Amino acid sequence: MRAFETYLLSRIAAPNSHTLAGYRAQGGYRALEQVLKKPWKPEEVVGAIKESGLRGRGGAGFPCGMKWSFMPDPAKDPRPRYLAVNADESEPGTCKDRVLMERDPHGLLEGCLIACYAMRAQAAYIYVRGEYRLSYDRLQAAIDEARAAGLVGKHVLGTDFHCELWMHKGAGAYICGEETGLMESLEGYRGHPRPKPPFPAASGLWKSPTTVNNVETIFNAPFIVERGAKWFTSLGTPKSTGNFLCGVSGHVNKPGVYELPFGVTAREIIEEKAGGVWKGRKLKAFFPGGSSTGLLPASAADVVMDHDSVKAAGSMFGTAAMIVLDETASIPQIMEVTLRFYEHESCGQCSQCREGTQWLHQIFRRIARGQGKPEDLDLLVSLSNGMAPGKTICALSDAAAIPTLAAVKHFRADFEAAIAQASFSHRPAAALATAAAEETHS
Amino acid sequence: MTKITVNGREIEADPKQPLIRACHDAGIDVPMYCYHPGLTPVGSCRICQVEVAGPPGQPGRVVAACRTPVAPGMVVDTDSPKAHETRRECLEFLLKNHPLDCPICDKAGECDLQDYSYNEGQGKGRSSEPRRKLEKRKSLGDVIVLDEERCILCSRCVRFFEDVTKKPQLTVEGLGSRSVINTYMDKPLEGNYQGNLADICPVGALTSKRFRFQARVWNLAKSLSTCAECSRGCSITVETLRGQEVKRFRPRCEPAVNQWWMCDTGRHAFQPVSRGLAPEGEVFGGRLRGACVRGFQGLELAEVEDALAVAADLLAARPGALLVLSPFATQEEAQAALALARRVNATAKFLSPAPNGLKDDFLHTGDPCPNRRGLTQLGFEPLEVAKLPDALKSAKAALLAGERVLEIAGADALAKLPTSVRLIAFDVAACDAPALDVCVAVPTHVEKHGHWINVDGHVGRLDVALSAPSGVEPLERSLARLEQLVASSGVRA
Repeated sequence: MRAFETYLLSRIAAPNSHTLAGYRAQGGYRALEQVLKKPWKPEEVVGAIKESGLRGRGGAGFPCGMKWSFMPDPAKDPRPRYLAVNADESEPGTCKDRVLMERDPHGLLEGCLIACYAMRAQAAYIYVRGEYRLSYDRLQAAIDEARAAGLVGKHVLGTDFHCELWMHKGAGAYICGEETGLMESLEGYRGHPRPKPPFPAASGLWKSPTTVNNVETIFNAPFIVERGAKWFTSLGTPKSTGNFLCGVSGHVNKPGVYELPFGVTAREIIEEKAGGVWKGRKLKAFFPGGSSTGLLPASAADVVMDHDSVKAAGSMFGTAAMIVLDETASIPQIMEVTLRFYEHESCGQCSQCREGTQWLHQIFRRIARGQGKPEDLDLLVSLSNGMAPGKTICALSDAAAIPTLAAVKHFRADFEAAIAQASFSHRPAAALATAAAEETHS
Repeated sequence: MTKITVNGREIEADPKQPLIRACHDAGIDVPMYCYHPGLTPVGSCRICQVEVAGPPGQPGRVVAACRTPVAPGMVVDTDSPKAHETRRECLEFLLKNHPLDCPICDKAGECDLQDYSYNEGQGKGRSSEPRRKLEKRKSLGDVIVLDEERCILCSRCVRFFEDVTKKPQLTVEGLGSRSVINTYMDKPLEGNYQGNLADICPVGALTSKRFRFQARVWNLAKSLSTCAECSRGCSITVETLRGQEVKRFRPRCEPAVNQWWMCDTGRHAFQPVSRGLAPEGEVFGGRLRGACVRGFQGLELAEVEDALAVAADLLAARPGALLVLSPFATQEEAQAALALARRVNATAKFLSPAPNGLKDDFLHTGDPCPNRRGLTQLGFEPLEVAKLPDALKSAKAALLAGERVLEIAGADALAKLPTSVRLIAFDVAACDAPALDVCVAVPTHVEKHGHWINVDGHVGRLDVALSAPSGVEPLERSLARLEQLVASSGVRA
């Protein structure tokens, strides 16, 4: 792996990095001062973000500057405007935002303030998943400190810029990490995604223009403002600029969150950063960006980690939450667990998703328990094609169908082997009883 | 209005309405479950997917027509292989856990899930997984029963209470494949509009307790009518089984009056019109056959023509009679009554029952007089039910005409009348009042043609849903004949 500059995790080593004093000691809030005191025009901030090529880190990789520019002109649209920060981080395997929120909460706040200034938003809502207690507490403490220091509220840093920051705690639903589900939840309703159009920039929180950004995306903004878009484009690849946080989990020696530039390969991440596959075993497969992205076989480990290359390899960059599986992993079991998650988390609005996630889970469960049938594999493919792409209100249906299609495509032999061993008559009675009990409890 | 192309045909579309509405207005069928023209679209069932052509050189996209706004120049194909395939997939998912108990389901025959499965579904299911086991008969109050297994979670019922009555009562409980429809804390449903749930449910999940297991819907004959319960006059369909009895009243879409809805009072008001005939040879004990006149033994059955002749003589002998119409009288009946009243110089009034306290802020007006506006327009004055006995006492003769006029006037009040006043009645059933000399049978409002004018001036139409019992003539014909008899006797009071 070539040498590279780090910035995202550069501050977290300091013992009091989460406090205002600790943050200021490392140069915190300088970018905000630069924007407000110089002063920059809001369009200049959006322009800098556009120029930097920053892409969303929440999974879809949408250009952030372009998203910000979708907000309507305040001269023509008098409605209030909001920023919603997606800190729900519920994609299985993903744990990158947690590090930032726990160790460097002021970095996120500074990013929020700059983003609100750029989009002329009067408030930002940070939607934190309920399980992230420390993240919530540290962010709340940071907001309180910042408010006391005149960084949040009326007249930020003595200027005419007003900005409120609010926290909201989720209750643990995966679907609330979907941007429209998040907005419904934030408004106090069930986290049922809303159909688009209208898009959030036209009608989001309380029917007002809203931008929803991932924590890590927002976290990048102060660095771009302070060090310049040119510096940012010098990192990563031409189409995926900057560094990203990669959360490696699964069968590796050193699982964890690592800061890496776009352009490294999956193999480099697994072997050089995560210490290689554990117990001296071989790599079998990996999810490149969380469980919603297509499973890739070991032969694809040389894929370059950036949005376009991973897509070309038949998967998605996602949230860069790499889940590594060694040669002993059973793909049918992995898929059973994955689909159990999606069945459990489907909101139930769209027919395909509500019934499809359950159906796929039932088939994978049968295969994993030795009750598979030869026709199951074609059925899995056919059902997945009925669930995706873009056939439902939100992408949860796609998130269940895409890994299914990828698993059947790359590991058909594994499934066929599991099905070939299937035996209905020789199952011990005890195993049947356990299966029945699990069925009633699932 | 903007122009779009659907299936190669250029149609006019309202840009404020979703694409599915434009297609339906142009007579192009697009399947729908969660979409209902009277409710906020949510786009969750995904059955209304149609193909919208992309920019030149790019493939078309399949979109949910209920959540897609009409855009000028849009090119839509509801019939493309891609659209059909997407809808087939959607149906397969919807049927995955559906119990397929159509043979015992009240909705069979008018079920959207059944219809579209026949149209575009596949003949054979591919699921070998166990189906969801849920509550089959969960009572949601006095009107509706819920079958959770049949439910496809379109949420129309939830939105009905949110959007239409504005008093939310139902919700989707649970998440994903564990979702069910329920009321808050299992409380029974309240209000006068619960029956609409059975109409808007696209499957047999919400069924009406009164209609449960009463008839197969393909055996029901349907005819247009108007609800008689209040002066709103909701447009309805009367559904009858084998020409014998009314099985249900259902609302018929009339944008100016009731849209797609009606109240439960009106929906369940088919008992009075289903009343059986009096036993053969008897005057009382049910609906009157033909006519009756007072003889030595009290009221005795008679030919209609004879009864009318007696009535004509009576009116001739006692000039200046009082003519009181039933609140259910149609415009046609009222006109015949008016002609008769002029002939015999009678005062023409209509019986006006007091408000029944059912008034709400939606449809029910609380005024149990469906043709008040029409009768008033024709010059009839309202006569309150409480003031009727005094009015009758001061008259020498009175003619009470129209469906249920005796019942509304009150059998007790009529029985107490002095015999100085002689009564002629035209009603579905006679009453045992000493003052009553003649009674001629009339059809009920489901047995006749006619028109009512509702509180807002909308003309509601009545059609024959059941044929009247033999010997029962339409009221306007009996009144016209009576006028003729009076005229030919040369008497002008």
